[in-house]
Amino acid sequence: MPKVKVFSTPTCPYCVTLKEFLKKNNIEFEDVNVAEDAAAREEMIEKSQQMGVPVVEIDGQIVIGFDKEKISQLLGIKK
Amino acid sequence: MANKKYDLIIIGGGPAAIAAGIYAARAKINTLIIAKTFGGQMTRKTVSIENYPGFKSISGADLVKKFVEHLQEYNVKIVSDSTGVIKKIGKTFSVKTAHEGWFDAMAVIVASGADPRPLEVPGEKEFIGRGVSYCTACDAPIFADKAVAVIGGGNSGFEAALALTKYAKKIYILEYAAEVKAEESNINLAQKSKKIKIMTSVEVKKILGDKFVSSVEYQNRRTGQAAALDVQGVFVEIGSIPATGFVKDLVDFNERDEIIIDSRTCATKTAGLFAAGDVTDVQYKQIGIAAGEGVKALFSVANYLRK
Ligand SMILES: Cc1cc2nc3c(=O)[nH]c(=O)nc-3n(C[C@H](O)[C@H](O)[C@H](O)COP(=O)(O)OP(=O)(O)OC[C@H]3O[C@@H](n4cnc5c(N)ncnc54)[C@H](O)[C@@H]3O)c2cc1C
Repeated sequence: MPKVKVFSTPTCPYCVTLKEFLKKNNIEFEDVNVAEDAAAREEMIEKSQQMGVPVVEIDGQIVIGFDKEKISQLLGIKK
Repeated sequence: MANKKYDLIIIGGGPAAIAAGIYAARAKINTLIIAKTFGGQMTRKTVSIENYPGFKSISGADLVKKFVEHLQEYNVKIVSDSTGVIKKIGKTFSVKTAHEGWFDAMAVIVASGADPRPLEVPGEKEFIGRGVSYCTACDAPIFADKAVAVIGGGNSGFEAALALTKYAKKIYILEYAAEVKAEESNINLAQKSKKIKIMTSVEVKKILGDKFVSSVEYQNRRTGQAAALDVQGVFVEIGSIPATGFVKDLVDFNERDEIIIDSRTCATKTAGLFAAGDVTDVQYKQIGIAAGEGVKALFSVANYLRK
């Protein structure tokens, strides 16, 4: 199983869509709320070099935003 | 391979599309909803929604959840993707999505709402996601203890600024006109906040930074003087533009780029193609209105399909 970590805030629509997409494809992930977790917020900015949510980390690879194609490719999700 | 065919395709995931979807399902119309995201502009709401009947006060995210749960009670097919093109060949519409291919239908409701309007100054595009944000509700928490500018002294700008007081250490509201234009209560709250500074007659000229935004250059329109503010975040709240890129030839637009509809029926100039909500020239833009327009469009679709 790939190690997947989602950095998000509770109020962003693409975060919701992203997490639903992962759940639908039975991908387990760690869900971190950067609105509350300051350390995770810094980690996200540092790793992604940007300040928007969502960010997904898949086995150390960073994907910014809900980039369905890239996420599918990294996780081997087929249409 | 032939495209998958439906009676109706609804494009959008805001209140107009969801209301139309619920009515379509109940009318047993074979329907596909193509939505980039669900909730639309309701998800951009930074403070509670207090004017949608039945809910005295509810957050945008919670109201969206209620809408979506209601829709999912029914057996409506949903594709989470963005629409690229609509074509009409004979009596059939073909709709192309970015990733999921083509779908066909006998009727279409365009309910794609509106996207945030960009400022169009140098530095804006370059720093999207690196300080520039169009979604205060999404990104506000990331600017904890930072100084930020909210561009736009309308109601959305004020609500954004007030929401940011929870996180940011300093918030400048920058308004182009000589006076701000927001609800009295929001202006009062902002004036009382020690964190918020309201600045009028300000024309933003440039967004500067290295890796991330570090300042905003502006000109005082009263004095003509140029100046800069040190900020790490820029929240753009200057209104919206209709999301119509995929439907160019089949409809007419007014001077604001809104789809012109027959206000009685939501019909456009193309038979079988209807539009509802903020994407149209309907005079007022609210959740209740968008939902109602979606319902109106659906009744027109039902009528059209019977013919
Ligand atoms: C900050 C803010 C505060 C507001 N506060 C209130 C309030 O308190 N009360 C109130 O009643 N109204 C409020 N409004 C207005 C209200 O949100 C809108 O009138 C309403 O959401 C319009 O609904 P809609 O369905 O027409 O479009 P939208 O809400 O804009 O939804 C459009 C949907 O279409 C989808 N979409 C767009 N393009 C495509 C495409 N190419 N393919 C597929 N899908 C697409 C989008 O992802 C989105 O889901 C507010 C608006 C804003 C921005």
